[in-house]
Amino acid sequence: MGVCALFEHRTSIIEPRIREGAGEMLTEGLVVVHECLGEKEQRLRRLVIKGPIAKTAKPGQFVAVQVQDSSISSFDPLLRRPISLAQISPDQDEITLLYRIQGRGTEILARACCGERLSIMGPLGQGFSVPKEGELWLIAGGIGIFPLYALAQDALARGLTVRLFWGGEHQRFLESAGLLQWQALGIPLHLSTLDGSFGLKGLVTEQVEEQLSLLFGQTKQEQPLSGGSIRIATCGPKKMMQAVTELGRNFGVPVEVSLEERMGCAVGACLGCVCTLRDEAGTLIHKKVCQDGPVFRGEEVVWDVSC
Amino acid sequence: MCPVDLTTHIAGITLRNPVLTGSGTYGFGEEYAAYCPVDALGGITLKGLTPEPRLGNEVPRLVETPAGLLNAVGLENPGLEEFLRSYLPKVRKLPTAVIANISGFSLEDYVQMARALQRDSGLAALEVNISCPNVKHGGMHFGTDPKSAEEVIGAVKAVTDLPIIAKLSPNVTDIVEMARAVQSGGADALSLINTLLGMSIDLDQQRPVLANTFGGLSGPAIRPVAVRMVWQVSQAVDLPIIGMGGITRWQDAVEFFLAGASAISIGTGNFVNPQAPLEILQGIEDYCAKRGMASVHELVGLAHVS
Ligand SMILES: Cc1cc2nc3c(=O)[nH]c(=O)nc-3n(C[C@H](O)[C@H](O)[C@H](O)COP(=O)(O)OP(=O)(O)OC[C@H]3O[C@@H](n4cnc5c(N)ncnc54)[C@H](O)[C@@H]3O)c2cc1C
Ligand SMILES: Cc1cc2nc3c(=O)[nH]c(=O)nc-3n(C[C@H](O)[C@H](O)[C@H](O)COP(=O)(O)O)c2cc1C
Ligand code: FES
Repeated sequence: MGVCALFEHRTSIIEPRIREGAGEMLTEGLVVVHECLGEKEQRLRRLVIKGPIAKTAKPGQFVAVQVQDSSISSFDPLLRRPISLAQISPDQDEITLLYRIQGRGTEILARACCGERLSIMGPLGQGFSVPKEGELWLIAGGIGIFPLYALAQDALARGLTVRLFWGGEHQRFLESAGLLQWQALGIPLHLSTLDGSFGLKGLVTEQVEEQLSLLFGQTKQEQPLSGGSIRIATCGPKKMMQAVTELGRNFGVPVEVSLEERMGCAVGACLGCVCTLRDEAGTLIHKKVCQDGPVFRGEEVVWDVSC
Repeated sequence: MCPVDLTTHIAGITLRNPVLTGSGTYGFGEEYAAYCPVDALGGITLKGLTPEPRLGNEVPRLVETPAGLLNAVGLENPGLEEFLRSYLPKVRKLPTAVIANISGFSLEDYVQMARALQRDSGLAALEVNISCPNVKHGGMHFGTDPKSAEEVIGAVKAVTDLPIIAKLSPNVTDIVEMARAVQSGGADALSLINTLLGMSIDLDQQRPVLANTFGGLSGPAIRPVAVRMVWQVSQAVDLPIIGMGGITRWQDAVEFFLAGASAISIGTGNFVNPQAPLEILQGIEDYCAKRGMASVHELVGLAHVS
């Protein structure tokens, strides 16, 4: 009986409908800059959006952008696209998204003109943790560099020491994807390319290992070394992040990784985007990349299952 | 214009309005709260539960298709016990009608869950999913064989005092036969439709995109199928129908009412626009008001009248 009464009570609540306060997470952002990033062949874009998101966003968080062509209403493509915050400027109320045209959705997004409004959900997910002091090493593979810029700016503003390890295919990619901006930060850069056209030839992780060894002695110790005040944040291909996590473990350096998964709701409601982690008891569990991540502690991620 | 009465009566429960959210697309009710106030909704349907916890399928679980979405989540859920302990105390406090959704692999599974979920749990109704396409034997057999469907609905009806909503699978030749079967089993209402079984193949990998190979298709792509099924079933059985499948705009919702649905549910549409329920509700009200209707109920099945 109590329940029935409760329901009657519930249904008598006056219709609230679309109210103040609700929907602050869904905004119509104004496109203020949308341009080619670097050389055309790299298919990279820089999109600056004006809106309230910048006031609350943290590095490592992302937004879910509607990619429908605003001139013709259509449900194809249907879903929003997750894109990380590459720059957060609360004073200007601006966020910067850097993205690669990958398929149909980003292709349509690339057509959005300045002055247009884009429907944006966010800021979403849990970002990187920024240590209070010490040194932050950023390790990026390819376009995994994009979310790390916001983190670098934040960390530098807090007086941390920051260095970047970044690997890309070739010089033209690195230059297109923002090398100049990184150089302007005045931090140590350890660059590598697969073809050796810039920086060292090879994988970015080789440079990370080398620097860690220089600091702490040889790797592959029985006992993990104590990495002191260094923290690592990494974003890029899964294999790279796995290798970085491994290095972190060997040298006793905590690693945070930013995972990617296909998303439906982007708010934790559909379970489309799960990743597998190992909890403290060693049990395999699922977490939602959109809501619990995209940033996780590297050592809790189970890399070798595909789910 | 006179205000339109949006109050909706279904299966003995009173909803403040006919706009619900679809199971598996709205988590446990709070995930979308920052986008759409829970107390604006007629009700929320929770993620499908099974007796035991399930991790579900591997990723990728989602693939976008033309105006649609294929999903193969595989009924990931915390299991009955954990639901009762950690989720129910929260969801029963939500300021809207909360409908639990149950799935099983055997008759006993369904009965066990129905027994544990009674009126005093604070839930408004029990939606019995006899149609999940994403797990092997995931109740699909209950959803495609009329005899089993009748049996499972009868069995849950016998052990709970909650109203029973039977959620039907569209992956059948004759939806009317299934609807009649669950009516005989004692269902108080119907949810139509669950997802349509589909698949998508990656041309580069030359492999299925979904880890599970097959998935359930939802979104605007399936709406015409859903509207057709609501139309057919509403002509054949007396039970109120919660219509769903591809509703993203108020016009879609009105189409379902006209076809014979008494309420509607929004699933994939929330992913596209998390405020869709609010906009759809407003649109339904305006549509009725413009036509001088005093109640949304007047819309139900209107397209059938010759
Ligand atoms: C948390 C997060 C942050 C991201 N940040 C960035 C960023 O800052 N810059 C950037 O260029 N890209 C980023 N991505 C990847 C970006 O979301 C995809 O490139 C984009 O969704 C591709 O859409 P599309 O329609 O062009 O490609 P299609 O391949 O046609 O997309 C088809 C479907 O698959 C999904 N999809 C395809 N690739 C990915 C992917 N890598 N990750 C997740 N979903 C994918 C799409 O969203 C869409 O639903 C991020 C992904 C995630 C999960
Ligand atoms: C990601 C996802 C998960 C779903 N999980 C469930 C579920 O657990 N139980 C269920 O009965 N239906 C489930 N469904 C089906 C929906 O509730 C709904 O019936 C279907 O998606 C059609 O409506 P739509 O086109 O509005 O999404 C799920 C759908 C999606 C997209
Ligand atoms: S995308 Fe829906 S739970 Fe993460």
